[in-house]
Amino acid sequence: MKKQALARTIKTGIQGTDVTENDVRKAIERAKQYPFIAYAVDTPYLELAKELFEGTGVLLTAPVSYPLGGMTIETRLDQIAFAIKVGADEINPSLNFNAIKSGNFSTVLDEIKRMVEAADDNLDVIVIPQFYILTNEEKLKVCHVILEGGVTAVKTNGHGSLCRPEDITLLRREFGNDLSIEASGGIRTTAQAAELLELGANFIHTSTPYSVLEDAE
Amino acid sequence: MEASELNAKALARMIDHTELHIDASYSDIRKLCLEAIKYEFASVVIHPVNIPLAAKLLKESMVKVDAAIGFPTGAYTIEGKIFETRDAIKKGAKEIDFVMNVGAFKAGNYSYVVDEMRAIKAAAGDVITKAILETCLLTDEEKVTACQIAEEAGVDFVKTSTGFGEKGATVEDVKLMRRTVGEDMGVKASGGIRTTQDALAMIDAGATRLGTSAGVAIIEGLASEVERHLKEKG
Repeated sequence: MKKQALARTIKTGIQGTDVTENDVRKAIERAKQYPFIAYAVDTPYLELAKELFEGTGVLLTAPVSYPLGGMTIETRLDQIAFAIKVGADEINPSLNFNAIKSGNFSTVLDEIKRMVEAADDNLDVIVIPQFYILTNEEKLKVCHVILEGGVTAVKTNGHGSLCRPEDITLLRREFGNDLSIEASGGIRTTAQAAELLELGANFIHTSTPYSVLEDAE
Repeated sequence: MEASELNAKALARMIDHTELHIDASYSDIRKLCLEAIKYEFASVVIHPVNIPLAAKLLKESMVKVDAAIGFPTGAYTIEGKIFETRDAIKKGAKEIDFVMNVGAFKAGNYSYVVDEMRAIKAAAGDVITKAILETCLLTDEEKVTACQIAEEAGVDFVKTSTGFGEKGATVEDVKLMRRTVGEDMGVKASGGIRTTQDALAMIDAGATRLGTSAGVAIIEGLASEVERHLKEKG
Protein backbone atom coordinates (compact mmCIF):
# COMPACT_ATOMS: atom_id res chain seq x y z
CA MET A 1 0.00 0.00 0.00
CA LYS A 2 1.21 3.50 -0.85
CA LYS A 3 1.85 5.94 2.01
CA GLN A 4 -0.50 8.61 0.65
CA ALA A 5 -3.33 6.10 0.11
CA LEU A 6 -2.87 4.65 3.59
CA ALA A 7 -2.85 8.14 5.10
CA ARG A 8 -6.26 8.69 3.46
CA THR A 9 -7.65 5.97 5.76
CA ILE A 10 -6.11 7.34 8.95
CA LYS A 11 -7.73 9.37 11.70
CA THR A 12 -5.41 10.50 14.43
CA GLY A 13 -4.94 13.14 17.11
CA ILE A 14 -3.21 14.13 20.30
CA GLN A 15 -5.06 13.71 23.57
CA GLY A 16 -4.11 13.20 27.18
CA THR A 17 -3.71 14.56 30.67
CA ASP A 18 -0.43 16.46 30.28
CA VAL A 19 -0.68 17.58 26.64
CA THR A 20 0.34 21.24 26.40
CA GLU A 21 -0.56 23.87 23.82
CA ASN A 22 2.95 23.61 22.44
CA ASP A 23 2.58 19.82 22.09
CA VAL A 24 -0.62 20.38 20.10
CA ARG A 25 1.01 22.97 17.83
CA LYS A 26 3.98 20.72 17.10
CA ALA A 27 1.86 17.60 16.56
CA ILE A 28 -0.46 19.38 14.13
CA GLU A 29 2.46 20.90 12.24
CA ARG A 30 3.80 17.40 11.67
CA ALA A 31 0.38 15.91 10.86
CA LYS A 32 -0.18 18.47 8.11
CA GLN A 33 2.52 16.76 6.04
CA TYR A 34 0.11 13.87 5.37
CA PRO A 35 -3.45 13.89 4.02
CA PHE A 36 -4.98 12.37 7.16
CA ILE A 37 -8.78 12.21 7.26
CA ALA A 38 -9.40 13.61 10.72
CA TYR A 39 -7.65 14.89 13.81
CA ALA A 40 -8.82 14.79 17.45
CA VAL A 41 -7.80 17.05 20.32
CA ASP A 42 -9.18 17.54 23.82
CA THR A 43 -11.78 20.28 24.24
CA PRO A 44 -9.43 23.06 25.51
CA TYR A 45 -7.51 22.83 22.21
CA LEU A 46 -10.37 22.53 19.72
CA GLU A 47 -10.35 26.21 18.77
CA LEU A 48 -6.57 26.19 18.32
CA ALA A 49 -6.69 23.04 16.18
CA LYS A 50 -9.48 24.51 14.05
CA GLU A 51 -7.30 27.50 13.33
CA LEU A 52 -4.17 25.42 12.61
CA PHE A 53 -5.97 23.09 10.17
CA GLU A 54 -7.72 25.94 8.36
CA GLY A 55 -7.79 25.30 4.62
CA THR A 56 -6.32 21.77 4.80
CA GLY A 57 -9.53 19.77 4.52
CA VAL A 58 -8.60 17.70 7.59
CA LEU A 59 -11.72 17.08 9.70
CA LEU A 60 -11.65 18.18 13.34
CA THR A 61 -12.85 15.56 15.83
CA ALA A 62 -14.22 16.53 19.24
CA PRO A 63 -14.32 14.07 22.14
CA VAL A 64 -17.51 13.59 24.16
CA SER A 65 -17.31 11.91 27.57
CA TYR A 66 -14.03 10.44 26.43
CA PRO A 67 -12.90 7.77 27.09
CA LEU A 68 -14.75 6.40 30.14
CA GLY A 69 -18.30 7.34 29.16
CA GLY A 70 -19.07 8.34 32.74
CA MET A 71 -20.50 11.77 32.03
CA THR A 72 -24.22 12.51 32.17
CA ILE A 73 -26.26 13.07 29.04
CA GLU A 74 -26.60 16.74 30.00
CA THR A 75 -22.81 17.14 30.12
CA ARG A 76 -22.50 15.29 26.81
CA LEU A 77 -24.99 17.66 25.21
CA ASP A 78 -23.03 20.61 26.61
CA GLN A 79 -19.87 19.21 25.02
CA ILE A 80 -21.67 18.72 21.72
CA ALA A 81 -22.92 22.32 21.77
CA PHE A 82 -19.33 23.44 22.36
CA ALA A 83 -18.07 21.26 19.48
CA ILE A 84 -20.58 22.93 17.16
CA LYS A 85 -19.64 26.38 18.44
CA VAL A 86 -15.95 25.91 17.66
CA GLY A 87 -16.63 24.43 14.24
CA ALA A 88 -15.67 20.79 14.81
CA ASP A 89 -16.65 18.40 12.00
CA GLU A 90 -17.28 15.19 13.91
CA ILE A 91 -17.70 13.95 17.46
CA ASN A 92 -16.60 10.74 19.18
CA PRO A 93 -18.98 10.15 22.07
CA SER A 94 -18.15 7.27 24.38
CA LEU A 95 -21.37 5.47 25.21
CA ASN A 96 -22.89 5.01 28.68
CA PHE A 97 -21.01 1.83 29.59
CA ASN A 98 -22.59 1.51 33.03
CA ALA A 99 -25.97 1.28 31.30
CA ILE A 100 -24.68 -1.19 28.69
CA LYS A 101 -23.11 -3.39 31.36
CA SER A 102 -26.42 -3.31 33.25
CA GLY A 103 -28.40 -4.37 30.16
CA ASN A 104 -30.17 -1.00 30.14
CA PHE A 105 -30.21 -0.50 26.37
CA SER A 106 -33.25 1.77 26.41
CA THR A 107 -31.19 4.42 28.21
CA VAL A 108 -28.33 3.90 25.75
CA LEU A 109 -30.74 4.32 22.82
CA ASP A 110 -32.37 7.39 24.32
CA GLU A 111 -28.99 9.04 24.89
CA ILE A 112 -27.81 8.28 21.36
CA LYS A 113 -30.98 9.82 19.93
CA ARG A 114 -30.51 12.96 22.00
CA MET A 115 -26.87 13.29 20.93
CA VAL A 116 -27.78 12.79 17.26
CA GLU A 117 -30.48 15.41 17.57
CA ALA A 118 -28.02 17.84 19.20
CA ALA A 119 -25.38 17.20 16.54
CA ASP A 120 -28.02 17.79 13.84
CA ASP A 121 -26.42 18.50 10.46
CA ASN A 122 -23.44 20.21 12.05
CA LEU A 123 -21.46 17.18 13.16
CA ASP A 124 -20.92 13.61 12.05
CA VAL A 125 -21.44 11.26 14.97
CA ILE A 126 -19.05 8.34 15.35
CA VAL A 127 -19.71 6.58 18.64
CA ILE A 128 -17.21 4.61 20.71
CA PRO A 129 -18.63 1.35 22.08
CA GLN A 130 -15.29 0.32 23.72
CA PHE A 131 -15.35 -3.22 22.36
CA TYR A 132 -12.61 -4.33 24.73
CA ILE A 133 -15.04 -4.34 27.66
CA LEU A 134 -17.93 -6.00 25.79
CA THR A 135 -18.86 -9.62 25.10
CA ASN A 136 -19.56 -10.51 21.46
CA GLU A 137 -23.26 -10.54 22.24
CA GLU A 138 -23.03 -7.06 23.75
CA LYS A 139 -21.01 -5.78 20.76
CA LEU A 140 -23.74 -6.79 18.33
CA LYS A 141 -26.57 -5.60 20.57
CA VAL A 142 -24.91 -2.21 21.03
CA CYS A 143 -24.33 -1.76 17.30
CA HIS A 144 -27.99 -2.57 16.58
CA VAL A 145 -28.94 0.08 19.15
CA ILE A 146 -26.50 2.55 17.57
CA LEU A 147 -28.11 2.06 14.14
CA GLU A 148 -31.59 2.33 15.63
CA GLY A 149 -30.53 5.61 17.21
CA GLY A 150 -29.58 7.03 13.84
CA VAL A 151 -25.80 6.63 13.96
CA THR A 152 -24.04 4.75 11.16
CA ALA A 153 -20.42 4.92 12.28
CA VAL A 154 -18.44 3.34 15.12
CA LYS A 155 -14.91 3.68 16.40
CA THR A 156 -14.28 0.31 18.00
CA ASN A 157 -12.14 1.27 20.98
CA GLY A 158 -10.79 4.24 22.84
CA HIS A 159 -7.50 4.78 24.56
CA GLY A 160 -5.54 1.96 26.12
CA SER A 161 -7.08 -1.06 24.46
CA LEU A 162 -6.38 -3.38 21.56
CA CYS A 163 -8.42 -3.70 18.36
CA ARG A 164 -9.15 -7.34 17.61
CA PRO A 165 -9.30 -8.29 13.92
CA GLU A 166 -12.17 -10.68 14.77
CA ASP A 167 -14.27 -7.70 15.81
CA ILE A 168 -14.04 -6.14 12.35
CA THR A 169 -15.09 -9.45 10.79
CA LEU A 170 -17.94 -9.77 13.28
CA LEU A 171 -19.32 -6.32 12.43
CA ARG A 172 -18.98 -6.74 8.66
CA ARG A 173 -20.75 -10.09 8.74
CA GLU A 174 -23.61 -8.76 10.86
CA PHE A 175 -24.11 -5.31 9.36
CA GLY A 176 -22.76 -5.44 5.81
CA ASN A 177 -22.20 -1.92 4.60
CA ASP A 178 -24.76 -0.31 6.93
CA LEU A 179 -22.04 0.54 9.42
CA SER A 180 -18.88 2.56 8.85
CA ILE A 181 -16.12 1.00 10.94
CA GLU A 182 -13.17 2.92 12.36
CA ALA A 183 -10.75 0.34 13.75
CA SER A 184 -9.06 1.66 16.84
CA GLY A 185 -6.92 0.55 19.74
CA GLY A 186 -3.22 -0.31 19.75
CA ILE A 187 -2.73 -0.03 15.97
CA ARG A 188 0.99 0.68 15.56
CA THR A 189 2.22 -0.97 12.36
CA THR A 190 1.51 -0.94 8.63
CA ALA A 191 0.80 -4.68 8.75
CA GLN A 192 -1.83 -4.28 11.48
CA ALA A 193 -3.54 -1.47 9.57
CA ALA A 194 -3.47 -3.40 6.31
CA GLU A 195 -5.05 -6.46 7.94
CA LEU A 196 -7.86 -4.45 9.52
CA LEU A 197 -8.60 -2.63 6.26
CA GLU A 198 -8.56 -5.95 4.40
CA LEU A 199 -11.12 -7.35 6.87
CA GLY A 200 -13.44 -4.44 6.15
CA ALA A 201 -12.49 -1.47 8.33
CA ASN A 202 -13.23 1.84 6.61
CA PHE A 203 -10.79 3.85 8.70
CA ILE A 204 -7.84 3.31 11.00
CA HIS A 205 -7.66 5.36 14.16
CA THR A 206 -4.18 5.55 15.64
CA SER A 207 -2.29 7.89 17.92
CA THR A 208 0.95 6.80 16.21
CA PRO A 209 0.24 7.40 12.49
CA TYR A 210 3.90 7.69 11.54
CA SER A 211 4.76 4.21 12.76
CA VAL A 212 1.66 2.92 10.93
CA LEU A 213 2.90 4.58 7.72
CA GLU A 214 6.48 3.45 8.18
CA ASP A 215 6.40 0.23 6.16
CA ALA A 216 4.10 1.54 3.43
CA GLU A 217 5.69 2.31 0.07
CA MET B 1 -4.19 11.89 64.81
CA GLU B 2 -1.48 9.24 65.05
CA ALA B 3 -2.34 6.31 62.83
CA SER B 4 -1.81 3.89 65.71
CA GLU B 5 -4.62 5.59 67.70
CA LEU B 6 -7.16 5.00 64.98
CA ASN B 7 -10.14 2.81 65.50
CA ALA B 8 -12.10 1.22 62.69
CA LYS B 9 -14.86 3.79 62.79
CA ALA B 10 -12.55 6.77 62.58
CA LEU B 11 -10.57 5.14 59.75
CA ALA B 12 -13.77 4.42 57.82
CA ARG B 13 -14.79 8.07 58.09
CA MET B 14 -11.61 8.97 56.19
CA ILE B 15 -12.32 6.67 53.26
CA ASP B 16 -13.85 7.69 49.95
CA HIS B 17 -15.15 4.34 48.69
CA THR B 18 -14.42 4.39 44.98
CA GLU B 19 -15.87 2.70 41.89
CA LEU B 20 -14.79 4.31 38.62
CA HIS B 21 -14.24 1.26 36.43
CA ILE B 22 -15.41 1.75 32.87
CA ASP B 23 -17.35 -1.53 32.98
CA ALA B 24 -19.02 -1.16 36.38
CA SER B 25 -22.72 -2.05 36.29
CA TYR B 26 -25.60 -0.75 38.39
CA SER B 27 -25.17 -3.74 40.71
CA ASP B 28 -21.52 -2.74 41.31
CA ILE B 29 -22.71 0.76 42.24
CA ARG B 30 -25.38 -0.70 44.49
CA LYS B 31 -22.81 -2.92 46.22
CA LEU B 32 -20.50 0.09 46.65
CA CYS B 33 -23.25 2.13 48.31
CA LEU B 34 -24.41 -0.68 50.59
CA GLU B 35 -20.82 -1.29 51.74
CA ALA B 36 -20.38 2.44 52.33
CA ILE B 37 -23.48 2.48 54.52
CA LYS B 38 -22.41 -0.63 56.42
CA TYR B 39 -18.88 0.60 57.13
CA GLU B 40 -19.84 4.30 57.41
CA PHE B 41 -17.35 5.49 54.81
CA ALA B 42 -17.12 9.23 54.16
CA SER B 43 -18.37 9.03 50.60
CA VAL B 44 -18.70 7.01 47.43
CA VAL B 45 -16.71 8.31 44.46
CA ILE B 46 -18.47 7.60 41.18
CA HIS B 47 -18.87 8.86 37.64
CA PRO B 48 -21.61 11.50 37.34
CA VAL B 49 -23.73 9.15 35.25
CA ASN B 50 -24.28 7.05 38.41
CA ILE B 51 -25.22 9.91 40.75
CA PRO B 52 -29.03 9.46 40.65
CA LEU B 53 -28.79 5.78 41.63
CA ALA B 54 -26.24 6.41 44.41
CA ALA B 55 -28.10 9.48 45.74
CA LYS B 56 -31.25 7.40 46.05
CA LEU B 57 -29.48 4.56 47.89
CA LEU B 58 -27.63 6.91 50.26
CA LYS B 59 -30.54 9.22 50.99
CA GLU B 60 -31.02 8.15 54.61
CA SER B 61 -27.32 7.74 55.40
CA MET B 62 -24.38 9.95 56.37
CA VAL B 63 -22.44 8.76 53.32
CA LYS B 64 -22.02 11.45 50.68
CA VAL B 65 -22.12 11.14 46.93
CA ASP B 66 -18.78 12.31 45.53
CA ALA B 67 -18.66 13.04 41.79
CA ALA B 68 -15.53 12.53 39.66
CA ILE B 69 -15.37 15.61 37.42
CA GLY B 70 -13.33 15.98 34.22
CA PHE B 71 -12.33 12.34 34.38
CA PRO B 72 -9.87 10.94 33.76
CA THR B 73 -7.70 13.50 31.94
CA GLY B 74 -8.94 16.84 33.24
CA ALA B 75 -8.52 18.01 29.64
CA TYR B 76 -11.83 19.84 29.43
CA THR B 77 -12.60 23.54 29.18
CA ILE B 78 -13.26 25.54 32.34
CA GLU B 79 -16.83 26.14 31.16
CA GLY B 80 -17.25 22.41 30.59
CA LYS B 81 -16.05 21.55 34.08
CA ILE B 82 -18.30 24.20 35.62
CA PHE B 83 -21.27 22.76 33.75
CA GLU B 84 -20.40 19.23 34.87
CA THR B 85 -19.94 20.36 38.49
CA ARG B 86 -23.31 22.14 38.61
CA ASP B 87 -25.04 19.23 36.91
CA ALA B 88 -23.52 16.77 39.41
CA ILE B 89 -24.60 18.86 42.41
CA LYS B 90 -28.08 19.27 40.98
CA LYS B 91 -28.34 15.49 40.72
CA GLY B 92 -27.19 14.92 44.31
CA ALA B 93 -23.40 15.17 44.58
CA LYS B 94 -22.18 16.44 47.98
CA GLU B 95 -18.48 16.43 47.16
CA ILE B 96 -16.58 17.19 43.95
CA ASP B 97 -13.26 15.57 42.95
CA PHE B 98 -12.03 17.34 39.82
CA VAL B 99 -8.89 16.85 37.75
CA MET B 100 -6.98 20.08 37.26
CA ASN B 101 -5.91 21.04 33.76
CA VAL B 102 -2.48 19.40 33.89
CA GLY B 103 -1.63 20.45 30.33
CA ALA B 104 -2.11 24.14 31.13
CA PHE B 105 -0.17 23.68 34.36
CA LYS B 106 2.71 21.96 32.55
CA ALA B 107 2.82 24.87 30.09
CA GLY B 108 3.35 27.19 33.06
CA ASN B 109 -0.05 28.81 32.58
CA TYR B 110 -0.68 29.09 36.32
CA SER B 111 -3.20 31.93 36.03
CA TYR B 112 -5.40 29.59 33.95
CA VAL B 113 -5.15 26.86 36.57
CA VAL B 114 -5.97 29.15 39.48
CA ASP B 115 -8.91 30.60 37.51
CA GLU B 116 -10.15 27.10 36.79
CA MET B 117 -9.94 26.02 40.42
CA ARG B 118 -11.63 29.23 41.61
CA ALA B 119 -14.41 28.79 39.09
CA ILE B 120 -15.09 25.20 40.15
CA LYS B 121 -14.98 26.17 43.82
CA ALA B 122 -17.47 28.98 43.12
CA ALA B 123 -19.74 26.65 41.14
CA ALA B 124 -19.63 24.12 43.99
CA GLY B 125 -20.60 26.64 46.68
CA ASP B 126 -20.72 24.85 50.03
CA VAL B 127 -19.96 21.48 48.47
CA ILE B 128 -16.44 20.22 49.29
CA THR B 129 -14.00 20.42 46.38
CA LYS B 130 -10.87 18.33 45.87
CA ALA B 131 -8.33 19.27 43.20
CA ILE B 132 -6.60 16.24 41.70
CA LEU B 133 -3.03 17.10 40.71
CA GLU B 134 -2.11 13.74 39.09
CA THR B 135 1.18 13.80 40.97
CA CYS B 136 2.80 11.02 38.91
CA LEU B 137 3.08 13.53 36.05
CA LEU B 138 4.63 16.32 38.16
CA THR B 139 8.12 17.05 39.44
CA ASP B 140 8.46 17.73 43.19
CA GLU B 141 8.74 21.43 42.46
CA GLU B 142 5.56 21.29 40.37
CA LYS B 143 3.74 19.42 43.14
CA VAL B 144 4.55 22.26 45.53
CA THR B 145 3.42 24.90 43.01
CA ALA B 146 0.17 23.03 42.28
CA CYS B 147 -0.58 22.81 46.02
CA GLN B 148 0.05 26.54 46.41
CA ILE B 149 -2.28 27.28 43.51
CA ALA B 150 -5.00 25.09 45.01
CA GLU B 151 -4.57 26.83 48.35
CA GLU B 152 -4.75 30.24 46.71
CA ALA B 153 -7.90 29.22 44.82
CA GLY B 154 -9.56 28.15 48.07
CA VAL B 155 -10.39 24.56 47.19
CA ASP B 156 -10.86 22.32 50.21
CA PHE B 157 -8.49 19.45 49.40
CA VAL B 158 -5.50 18.65 47.25
CA LYS B 159 -5.65 15.07 46.00
CA THR B 160 -2.81 13.03 44.53
CA SER B 161 -4.24 10.92 41.72
CA THR B 162 -7.12 9.86 39.52
CA GLY B 163 -6.19 6.19 39.69
CA PHE B 164 -5.94 6.19 35.89
CA GLY B 165 -2.36 7.49 35.73
CA GLU B 166 0.88 5.52 35.62
CA LYS B 167 1.17 5.64 39.40
CA GLY B 168 -0.97 6.50 42.40
CA ALA B 169 -0.21 8.12 45.72
CA THR B 170 3.19 7.79 47.38
CA VAL B 171 4.03 8.48 51.03
CA GLU B 172 6.66 11.03 49.92
CA ASP B 173 4.14 12.95 47.81
CA VAL B 174 1.59 13.06 50.61
CA LYS B 175 4.25 14.33 53.04
CA LEU B 176 5.30 17.01 50.55
CA MET B 177 1.70 18.09 49.94
CA ARG B 178 0.95 18.23 53.66
CA ARG B 179 4.10 20.26 54.31
CA THR B 180 3.12 22.68 51.55
CA VAL B 181 -0.52 23.31 52.46
CA GLY B 182 -0.06 23.32 56.24
CA GLU B 183 -2.70 22.02 58.62
CA ASP B 184 -5.76 23.90 57.39
CA MET B 185 -6.33 22.12 54.10
CA GLY B 186 -7.35 18.56 53.38
CA VAL B 187 -4.95 16.16 51.68
CA LYS B 188 -6.42 13.14 49.92
CA ALA B 189 -4.23 10.20 48.98
CA SER B 190 -5.59 8.01 46.20
CA GLY B 191 -4.48 5.41 43.72
CA GLY B 192 -2.85 2.13 44.71
CA ILE B 193 -3.97 2.11 48.36
CA ARG B 194 -4.82 -1.57 48.76
CA THR B 195 -4.03 -2.62 52.35
CA THR B 196 -4.46 -1.44 55.93
CA GLN B 197 -0.73 -0.81 56.04
CA ASP B 198 -0.91 1.38 52.91
CA ALA B 199 -3.77 3.33 54.45
CA LEU B 200 -2.02 3.88 57.79
CA ALA B 201 1.19 4.94 56.05
CA MET B 202 -0.72 7.60 54.10
CA ILE B 203 -2.38 8.89 57.26
CA ASP B 204 0.97 9.04 59.04
CA ALA B 205 2.26 11.04 56.07
CA GLY B 206 -0.51 13.60 56.53
CA ALA B 207 -3.49 12.40 54.51
CA THR B 208 -6.90 13.27 55.95
CA ARG B 209 -8.84 11.37 53.31
CA LEU B 210 -8.12 8.18 51.38
CA GLY B 211 -9.51 7.32 47.97
CA THR B 212 -9.60 3.56 47.45
CA SER B 213 -11.70 0.71 46.15
CA ALA B 214 -10.26 -1.55 48.85
CA GLY B 215 -11.99 0.17 51.79
CA VAL B 216 -13.64 -3.00 53.05
CA ALA B 217 -10.34 -4.94 53.12
CA ILE B 218 -8.62 -1.99 54.77
CA ILE B 219 -11.13 -1.84 57.61
CA GLU B 220 -11.28 -5.62 58.01
CA GLY B 221 -7.48 -5.69 58.18
CA LEU B 222 -7.27 -3.05 60.91
CA ALA B 223 -7.64 -5.40 63.88
CA SER B 224 -4.74 -7.60 62.84
CA GLU B 225 -2.68 -4.53 62.03
CA VAL B 226 -3.24 -3.08 65.51
CA GLU B 227 -2.26 -6.43 67.02
CA ARG B 228 0.95 -6.47 64.97
CA HIS B 229 1.68 -2.90 65.94
CA LEU B 230 1.26 -3.59 69.65
CA LYS B 231 3.44 -6.71 69.42
CA GLU B 232 6.21 -4.73 67.73
CA LYS B 233 6.06 -2.13 70.45
CA GLY B 234 6.36 -5.00 72.94
